[in-house]
Amino acid sequence: MLTNLLTLLLALTTPVTDSIPASAVIAAKQDAAPERLAVPVSAFGTRTLDAAGIKNPKGLSDLIPGLHMPDYGASLTSTIYLRGFGSRMENPVMGLYVDDIPVLDKNAYDIDFLDLKSATMLRGPQGTGYGRNTMCGVLSLRTLAPGEYDGLLGRIEGGTAGQLRTSLSWYGDRHALSLGYRHGDGWFDNACTGAPVDPYDGGSLRWRWERRLSDRLSLSNSLSASLVKEGAFAYGQYREGVLHPVSYNDEGSYARLTVLEGAKASWTLESLTLDAAASLQWLSDDVRMDNDYTARDIFTLEQRQDCGAGTLDLTLRPTRERERWQPATGLFAFFKGNHLSAPVHFKEGGIQSLILDNANGNIPADIGYLDIRDRDIPILSEFRIRSWGAALYHESVFRLGRWQLTAGVRLDYEGGWMGYDCSARLDYRFVPFMASYKAFRSDYRGSLDLSALQLLPKLSALYEVPSPLPDRHLFLYATASKGWRAGGFNTQIFSDILQNRMMNGLMEDLGVYLDRPAVSVGAENTRYAPETAWNYEIGGRLLDRNVFRLEASLYYIDGRNQQLTVFPPGLSTGRMMTNAGRSRSLGAEAEADLHPGQWTLHLSYGCCDARFVRYDDGNHDYSGNRIPYSPAHTLYAAAGYRFPFATGRIQGLSLLADLHGTGGIRWDEANTLSEPFAWRLGGRITLEWKHFDLYLRGSNLTDDRSRTFYFKSVGNEFFALSKPRALVWGLTLKI
Amino acid sequence: MKRIISMLACAALLAACVHPEAEPEEVPIQPETGEYLGVVTVEYSGTSFDNESITVLFQPAEDGKTASLEIKRIKFVPAMPVTIDVTIPDVELTSTSEEIDLVCGEVIPLAMGGEYPRYIVTGLIGRIVGDEMTFSLKFGDYPTTFRGVLQH
Repeated sequence: MLTNLLTLLLALTTPVTDSIPASAVIAAKQDAAPERLAVPVSAFGTRTLDAAGIKNPKGLSDLIPGLHMPDYGASLTSTIYLRGFGSRMENPVMGLYVDDIPVLDKNAYDIDFLDLKSATMLRGPQGTGYGRNTMCGVLSLRTLAPGEYDGLLGRIEGGTAGQLRTSLSWYGDRHALSLGYRHGDGWFDNACTGAPVDPYDGGSLRWRWERRLSDRLSLSNSLSASLVKEGAFAYGQYREGVLHPVSYNDEGSYARLTVLEGAKASWTLESLTLDAAASLQWLSDDVRMDNDYTARDIFTLEQRQDCGAGTLDLTLRPTRERERWQPATGLFAFFKGNHLSAPVHFKEGGIQSLILDNANGNIPADIGYLDIRDRDIPILSEFRIRSWGAALYHESVFRLGRWQLTAGVRLDYEGGWMGYDCSARLDYRFVPFMASYKAFRSDYRGSLDLSALQLLPKLSALYEVPSPLPDRHLFLYATASKGWRAGGFNTQIFSDILQNRMMNGLMEDLGVYLDRPAVSVGAENTRYAPETAWNYEIGGRLLDRNVFRLEASLYYIDGRNQQLTVFPPGLSTGRMMTNAGRSRSLGAEAEADLHPGQWTLHLSYGCCDARFVRYDDGNHDYSGNRIPYSPAHTLYAAAGYRFPFATGRIQGLSLLADLHGTGGIRWDEANTLSEPFAWRLGGRITLEWKHFDLYLRGSNLTDDRSRTFYFKSVGNEFFALSKPRALVWGLTLKI
Repeated sequence: MKRIISMLACAALLAACVHPEAEPEEVPIQPETGEYLGVVTVEYSGTSFDNESITVLFQPAEDGKTASLEIKRIKFVPAMPVTIDVTIPDVELTSTSEEIDLVCGEVIPLAMGGEYPRYIVTGLIGRIVGDEMTFSLKFGDYPTTFRGVLQH
């Protein structure tokens, strides 16, 4: 039955213009066509992305099998889970390249697309070619280049919750300039203040320049910048099995400036071609957070960081494609410097509940009690973090008849250093012994460093099955490769460390020593180790150029030192990255693109069973449990039909319905809290004229309110909900 | 003449050499700051409770006539969930060439940033001989003794 249906669909297929363009969607550093890559590839062109209403990388969740980037918090939170791995803090498991330039800081991953031409995802470890933080894949975004369009592109879109999105672009022979602006009134209300939690204003700019100086040398430059100011953190408290509305009294906001300057050069010699890509990156952001997320004055965080980075990537390959052996050798280097200031303010309720109650609970009442005069105790934390790395890599592709064998290896070195300078002061007295308050100050300064050396091998084989039709190809492949995610320093736990040091120091200043003093990790324990994974994969790809593509794969990932975000037990105020001993993920992924006649059909599905093989945090043994936060299933299904109008000014009418599905998700290592599989229905109607399109798009039409994020703060539990039903209308302009 | 003078000188030298030793003058020991590590024993409810490895900081005043004794991390009863530093001020010192005697009739000790009248110190007597310090006193109703050795 299924075979008959497939045969019927294939028989009906005719080439359409916005199918999967082999040459247009190639990923960074891949000069082979995507169908000849021995890894699963997801590729989307402009029209597919537009029709699906995808405006930023988070929108690619579910479209790419196994990818889950939940939309919550703020633009800061680019949490990425892929194939069961990932974490919301620090280094990602997926690399992001924009026009062949790696985006080093995950805080800059959540960007508004401006004239995106394609999004290509290479799934599975891409360690050999791309190195650090590409353990589960690389997402390559390409924007429209000068010369690929001539004229003006514009868009205006408005809708639910005051959404307004506009962009205007000009394309010439050598230059392209784009400007974008987005506004939103907010999706959630704060029951405490009565104001919207998450209003948004953001602007972005992109300038591209390309020039061929000679037959041998071509240059291009891309400069993009964005500025965001938004309300943030719509988290509601979960008490006694009930999720309460968002209700907190202090500021929750996020502001960010990002600049990404990338230059590329390609120098072609007689026998070799050198491709160089260099970048300078800047990110300044400012997070204001009511860290207890309640209507009480407990504690707040103000985190500001200025982060600069530079990258250089050189790749040398033969100018002419060789028949049997195609080598590529590269060198990569980066440097990143970050100045982070993250003062935590303990307010009246926090001083009482987190400091005084803690201390006085251990002091017999008949001896006395501790009193603090301050109503706001700032715990100041300044960090200077440097990381640097260099890598040498080589990949050789051997073509032997229908076989294509690839062997690659990369040697990645990474170093890191963090200087920390933390301090806190307060005025205290011990009643009834001390008649007056005494000043107390606690300082904590020092530095840490780390280094890592990783050898990342890769072996793959691809076989092209003989086909009776010239445009129809069936490829089978098997790949074994290693990837890694860099280690780092836990900065978010320092307020906990200093709070405990302050309390213990204060008691010592008094000459009182608790039998069971508050225990906290020290700075030396704030390093977390690199995570590594071996990925074993087999798959197949059946395609007919510009007509259909079917792809399926099975993988097994053997992970070591998996990085997890954990909440220290008790009334802790911080969170930290830790390494689970060993984990594994077993999964399957499938994608189908079919274009029978005026139909457009797409299906993406991923399922994985990701578990801890060995993880004992000292208090509990989680071995065998599912890895939290990562969904067991992702699904995207879309069906569209275009009615072409041969006469009249309206050229066509397009209808599209799509379905997103994600789940189930375990929210904690113990697997006691979970989220079932949830569906979200969307759709779009587009009327097409020669120079403009008018559309109406709905997302989450079923108004699914499933939970997208879970965390703990000072022992309380919180969830974020998915955004409600939304309708937008829009007008695109092409002149 | 020269011979006479030489003989007189030799006689004087001899006389000096055979002069019986003078009675040694008693030099009192100069009290010096020091930490003594030892055991504090507190008697309560008819039993005794040893605080092992307790440090007592002996800190004489500039004139050497009084000193403070800071007893670090002491518990008066085993059930106390905390240990505390207690300072006994104004302990009178009497030094001889062989020992320093410690005496304090009654004084309110200092603890937790102020006076601690609940454990008023009475009847403190003790001494420092060589590297060893011993003293006894009553903290409130608790008879307490200490014996410790100077830490170099």
